[in-house]
Amino acid sequence: MNSLWRHELRLFLRQRIAIPVLLLMTFLSIASVWAGMAEIQRQRETIERIQPQQAADVAALAKWVSVEGDAGNAAYYTFHATWDAPSALAFAAIGQRDVAPYILRIRALGLEAQLYESENYNAELALPGRFDWAFVLTYLAPLFVIVLLHDLKSGEREAGRIGLLAAMARNERALWRRRIALRIGSLLAALVIPFLIGAALSGAAPDSMLIFAITATAYILFWALLCLWVGSRGWTSVTNAATLVASWLVLTLILPALANLAINSAVPVRQGVELTLEQREKIHGGWDTPKEETMQAFFKVHPEWKDTKPVEGGFHWKWYYAFQHLGDLAAAPQAKAYREGLEARDRLTGRVGFMLPAVGLQTTLHRIAQTDLNAGLSYQDRIRTYHQRLRRFYYPYAFNEVPFRTADFAKAPQWVKR
Amino acid sequence: MSAIRLIAADEWRLMRRNRVAMLGLVMLLALSVIAVLTSIAQHDNSDAIRARFQAQADQAFDGAPARHPHRMVHYGHFVFRPLPPLAAFDPGVDAFTGNTIYLEGHRQNSANFGDVRQSSLLVRFGQLTPAFVLQALAPLMLIFIGFGIVARERERGTIRQLFAHGVSARSLLSGKALGLGGIAALMLAPAALALGWLVVLEGAPLAPSLALLGGYAVYLSIWVLLIVIASSLAALARTALMALIGIWAFTVILLPRLAPDIALAANPALTRLETDIAIKDDLRKMGDSHNPDDPYFNAFRERTLKQYSVEKVEDLPVNYRGLLAVEGEKLTSKLFEDYADKQFAAQQAQSRLTDIAGVLSPTIALRRLSMSAAGTDLEGHRRFLAQAEAYRFATVQQLNQLQATAITYDDDSNRNKDPEAGRRVRVDPENWREVPDFRYQAAATPDKLKAALPGMLLLLAWLVALSLAWRLAIRRLGATA
Repeated sequence: MNSLWRHELRLFLRQRIAIPVLLLMTFLSIASVWAGMAEIQRQRETIERIQPQQAADVAALAKWVSVEGDAGNAAYYTFHATWDAPSALAFAAIGQRDVAPYILRIRALGLEAQLYESENYNAELALPGRFDWAFVLTYLAPLFVIVLLHDLKSGEREAGRIGLLAAMARNERALWRRRIALRIGSLLAALVIPFLIGAALSGAAPDSMLIFAITATAYILFWALLCLWVGSRGWTSVTNAATLVASWLVLTLILPALANLAINSAVPVRQGVELTLEQREKIHGGWDTPKEETMQAFFKVHPEWKDTKPVEGGFHWKWYYAFQHLGDLAAAPQAKAYREGLEARDRLTGRVGFMLPAVGLQTTLHRIAQTDLNAGLSYQDRIRTYHQRLRRFYYPYAFNEVPFRTADFAKAPQWVKR
Repeated sequence: MSAIRLIAADEWRLMRRNRVAMLGLVMLLALSVIAVLTSIAQHDNSDAIRARFQAQADQAFDGAPARHPHRMVHYGHFVFRPLPPLAAFDPGVDAFTGNTIYLEGHRQNSANFGDVRQSSLLVRFGQLTPAFVLQALAPLMLIFIGFGIVARERERGTIRQLFAHGVSARSLLSGKALGLGGIAALMLAPAALALGWLVVLEGAPLAPSLALLGGYAVYLSIWVLLIVIASSLAALARTALMALIGIWAFTVILLPRLAPDIALAANPALTRLETDIAIKDDLRKMGDSHNPDDPYFNAFRERTLKQYSVEKVEDLPVNYRGLLAVEGEKLTSKLFEDYADKQFAAQQAQSRLTDIAGVLSPTIALRRLSMSAAGTDLEGHRRFLAQAEAYRFATVQQLNQLQATAITYDDDSNRNKDPEAGRRVRVDPENWREVPDFRYQAAATPDKLKAALPGMLLLLAWLVALSLAWRLAIRRLGATA
């Protein structure tokens, strides 16, 4: 039995195309893992790099704010850093991490105007998508499967050996099984081993590594089965190849693009702009609204400050922060609708993934790597929670008119790592 | 000449009978039509939405009640980037850039709500636009239709009959190229019609549209030549197919993704957060308006007092607080501009590095040409950002000037203590209507063409290189005759 496998392996590797294909697959896999790890390393370094800069920025601010000790100034001028550290597997599926900010500074003013800020990235470079392992697996690996399997039987037939093979093999099915297993197995090894090494180096959890490997195997098996099915039709190698590449084109480029078009027109999301316009009107309308009215509305959500001194004169910080928060509350329905629109788009994409293997694969990988739209939304959730902690930190100073000194800056809530 | 035409006509006759080829062609044409129709509809739709939002923002600004001018500085303004008409053909980076910016005093916000962050990861599979169909799908269809165009004749031995009838290798290849070129022209037809539509009905500029059409025609010609050459050099049709698909995957799919990664690693740009901190830091070093003894603002005060020949700021004929606001905004705005310039320079260096990969991939060269001619390249976005910043600065300064001239220093200083003064600092809302509306100035046609030129030149270089290979193929084929 063993010698049969060894023999087949020798036959396979002696084929003109085998070694170059396997080497190229190995090279692309290594290159994509390396490029992905370099990018994630850059992101980690950026997160590290901003910490001292951020601390220096706050220290410089503390120097002049603490003189008067006005808490309103502290809350107004202090930007607090938040960041979304990449998961261990983010290197393999970078996803939206190149277009959505993974670091964002916020302050205790209205959040809705700060939450959707963009990063400065080069849109021309983002347009084609990143070269990561998920890309190599989704787009390129199927082409390699097609190259290896499209002529499995038809090649033997065209060489006039198929009858001979059938007659000589003790078990013809076992023969084809061996051949298929060798080709797919070696291709998978070339593809997955570099990923596993990269994942181990990045400190990924074994179970998510396993899910990645299983998903990749299932995806490759889908393409292998498609190749075998097409190969069983008795067409020539050329027709097989053309049919398979056409299927690849339809399944990985055309149908996903059509699905995107359909989903985006089925679920329009305009609320992003609407909510920022709404929030601005509300916040700036706050200046013209009678102060008592604003404060009463604020006390409905924050009754704990009801009994503080009433606002007198033209300006008081507590009144200012009250209408900032009311602006957020006014925009909340739109913010909710906006988020639900995005989630609906994501949900529909998940459904498309059940029908299109390439989409299903990408959805799974990016979900596990926490680099998809959902991961971005959960970062926003954590920012919301943090923003609330910030507000609650500054309110006692503003409402009780407690002076804000240098030591108080260090008491501000810190962004917690996931 | 007639032999060439005969061979081409024969090729078309064969293709009409080839069900696979016809199916592929019909599929591509159908996709083109879908892409054209949806792209134009989507373009008109998003342009209308942006125009509506812009009108809403303009109205909100003009209709604001009587306020202190500095409150209008903070109330700010929204501007939206209109879509150029040719974005319906190639939307370029539009989905990957925010299309609206909130403009306010002292701050420079980012352009937000780009489609890419509002879509699931499906958007990264590529958008079905006329440009995408022609850049990525048409070459692959041409490969399927044409890989055996010469190799098949050789496999069947019909090539010897042709040579025996006195057909030269040159006319054989030219005829085949003409035949395949006809198919390519057919594939280009929906796009040409779409461009015609955009020029006639949507006011797209003519010269960039022609440049687009020419660019795509050259691009498809490159593929036609490549396919005929590969088919004539390969011993077997299957070898030609494999080699061509390999070239396609490498130049259309792999390189456009690989090149940006290299460019990004070579030219890292500052993140927004770091830029923000750096600007604040610079600002503190230049002059701290919060510091009552700041040397920069002390000097400014002395200069102003001297200019008006008075002793105290209270004696100035204008509101000193307004002058301070004007001066402060000048400082920050200068920094915003410097940092934005640096940012763009880094991004341009990245893009240029990617453009060099056009030597290896005609798709990259075509994309440069296409986005630049359509006005949807990074430069278009940069123009928007720069114009928005200029508009922000002008608006804020107009309001700061208003604060300096329409409000007295005394009222301004006591506005929170004295309700009467608080009322007097609210200026007539007529002043808001005097702030001009934002009008985005798209790149002029010569600028677009100039930006598209490197892509065009690279494509032509490809054509020249292939015509050398063409001669080689003719010589090789002639030798077998």
